[in-house]
Amino acid sequence: MMKKTLFMLLVAAVLRPVGENVAFGEAGAVTGRDVMVMEDERPDGDDRTSVLKMTLINKRGGKRVREVSSYSKDYGKDTKSVMVFDRPADVKGTAFLSWEYDDPEREDDKWLYMPAMKKVRRISGASKNEYFMGSDFTYDDMGDRNVDEDTHKLLGEEEVDGHPCWKIESIPVDPDDMYTRKVIWVSKEAHMALKAEYYDKDGLLKVYRVLDFGKEGGYWTSRHSEMENVVRKHKTVMEFSAMQYDTGLDDGLFKVSAIQRGRVR
Amino acid sequence: MKWSTGLLALLLAAAGLLCGAPASADESGWVRRVEVDGWVEGARSVRIRSPHDALLSRLWGRLKLSADIGDLYGHVSIDAQQNWRVEDETGFELHEVWAEYAADGWDLRIGRQVIIWGKADGVQITDIVSPPDYTEFITRDLEEIRLPVDAAKFRLLGDKIDVELIWIPVFRAAVPPSAGNPWDVEPEIPEGVRVTASSAEEPEVSLENSEIALKVSAFLSGLDVAASVFHTWDDRPAMHRTVSRREGGIDVHFSPEHHRMTVFGLEFSRPWSDFVFRGEVAYYLGRYFEPESVTGDPSRKNALNWLAGIDWTPGNDWSVIAQAAGVFIVEHERSLAAEQHALSGTLNVSKKLLRQTLTLSNMLYYNIRQQDFFDQLKAEYAVTDDVRLIAGVDVFGGGGDGVFGRYRDNSQVWFKAKYSF
Repeated sequence: MMKKTLFMLLVAAVLRPVGENVAFGEAGAVTGRDVMVMEDERPDGDDRTSVLKMTLINKRGGKRVREVSSYSKDYGKDTKSVMVFDRPADVKGTAFLSWEYDDPEREDDKWLYMPAMKKVRRISGASKNEYFMGSDFTYDDMGDRNVDEDTHKLLGEEEVDGHPCWKIESIPVDPDDMYTRKVIWVSKEAHMALKAEYYDKDGLLKVYRVLDFGKEGGYWTSRHSEMENVVRKHKTVMEFSAMQYDTGLDDGLFKVSAIQRGRVR
Repeated sequence: MKWSTGLLALLLAAAGLLCGAPASADESGWVRRVEVDGWVEGARSVRIRSPHDALLSRLWGRLKLSADIGDLYGHVSIDAQQNWRVEDETGFELHEVWAEYAADGWDLRIGRQVIIWGKADGVQITDIVSPPDYTEFITRDLEEIRLPVDAAKFRLLGDKIDVELIWIPVFRAAVPPSAGNPWDVEPEIPEGVRVTASSAEEPEVSLENSEIALKVSAFLSGLDVAASVFHTWDDRPAMHRTVSRREGGIDVHFSPEHHRMTVFGLEFSRPWSDFVFRGEVAYYLGRYFEPESVTGDPSRKNALNWLAGIDWTPGNDWSVIAQAAGVFIVEHERSLAAEQHALSGTLNVSKKLLRQTLTLSNMLYYNIRQQDFFDQLKAEYAVTDDVRLIAGVDVFGGGGDGVFGRYRDNSQVWFKAKYSF
């Protein structure tokens, strides 16, 4: 799930059916890269909607809640997505439209509608080390990261909460990446990252865990997960609801004119 | 208790009720998806210079109701305000009320609505459909500066190109600060000149006095462009003078009058890496410019307004927006108060902290010739998801009688508390 785009994550992680044909490494042995390609390329229907509730919990136990409705649709290998903020109240109605291209040479197109200003603004790609809505997830954590932006090594096999997993070490190719290393546990059955540890130059920074997952509409789906910052002692809990797939979302939903109305329905 | 205070109390009660309930409800039958939201804001300021009085002292609320009614979508927003500093602001007002029908490939919105154009940040170049409310000059939030217009807005929606046609049958003027308002700063009158004024002459409501706008917008990969034409009335009146001589001086009578003009606009924005480049030009055909002399008369000229801006989001929750703008008057005359090419700039820098609950920002407006400026520094903290405390300083400075410098005595420190529901 960690490799999926922001919007794919928002509409819940959808997993490749068991038995998907994947070209393994030499002599049929699975490699770290093979596992991460399986995890990255899992299908998620042609379109999808969901409601994401993010609860930000600080070290004193104080909570803040962000809620987002999201819609996305595939156009070949490209994806168009709309995200509408429902909570907190002062940003209610803010809408974010994104056209994400598979071609890494092509810059994504992004627009933001702010209800207070009543107009749509073109925005640049958000910085990858910026935190999404004040949560513990950076855009990079949730973003469309190419498998080959890291080198992957299969460390072995371990169980996570009783689920057999491949244990992968991923090291960024870019030496300036905010993380120095990630360790990811990918479910053998669901091809989903069930746990991940993020390290920076000072050591372990964050731990990601899937707390509840299962099949929704024929797809494996993460329903409940959390990211804990073990240094600053705060965490973000993500809960997905109202998940729907392949409902035939209207193309008009993914146009600037739709978010210009100040509402998306 | 005044009725406006009562309405504010109702708003607060609605907000309180909504604290424990979802802000929307699905209704069965003809009316579906009813939504209630809004905000209540208290604000108070202290003037930095003597007499250190409050330039801002108000309680303001906005209640917004939206619903799907059959195939239509309806929206109503109502303002209530108790203003202890500018008393004629006290009262309630229907802010927006409109209905919208959206079909496959087109939509139509009819009613009182705010219409915002352009790519600029805090500067109006092509964005002249909804007039501004300068009751508190430009110190208010953008949401509270723009006035709605009674209009029909029809859009043809293509894959990449949209065509927008707006008809405004009823003219609405910009709102200047009223007499007695601390933002109503009188220009210096030469000795021996006695000034009187009549109220502004506005166009009558008729079909031929309608305003009409056409805009074609394209949203392409990596580029947004739009071209527009707006046959309108200048929402700021030209101050025509009648001068008569008397013993010991002269009398000048001002007769403000709104005039027709046509504005051709072009705008674009283009992202690149962490930047977005933006630009706007508007060519005004037949705009009146004020004379330098109190006894002169406004002159009808053509003028080009332009703006070039850059947004930079370097990461770590920093944002920088820089803009340069100008007004070039064609066939300029030395008798005009404005120079032939007036240049100005803005710089907006903001940073979010504490998991994006604290935002520090600074917005600077600067006029190059007058060397006057307006700088607003503010800190906004989300105490909870619904309550924000905002503190700021508005500093006006620089020389002369410039648009900002004239308010140098109105520099203020202010505090606001805003509850959204």
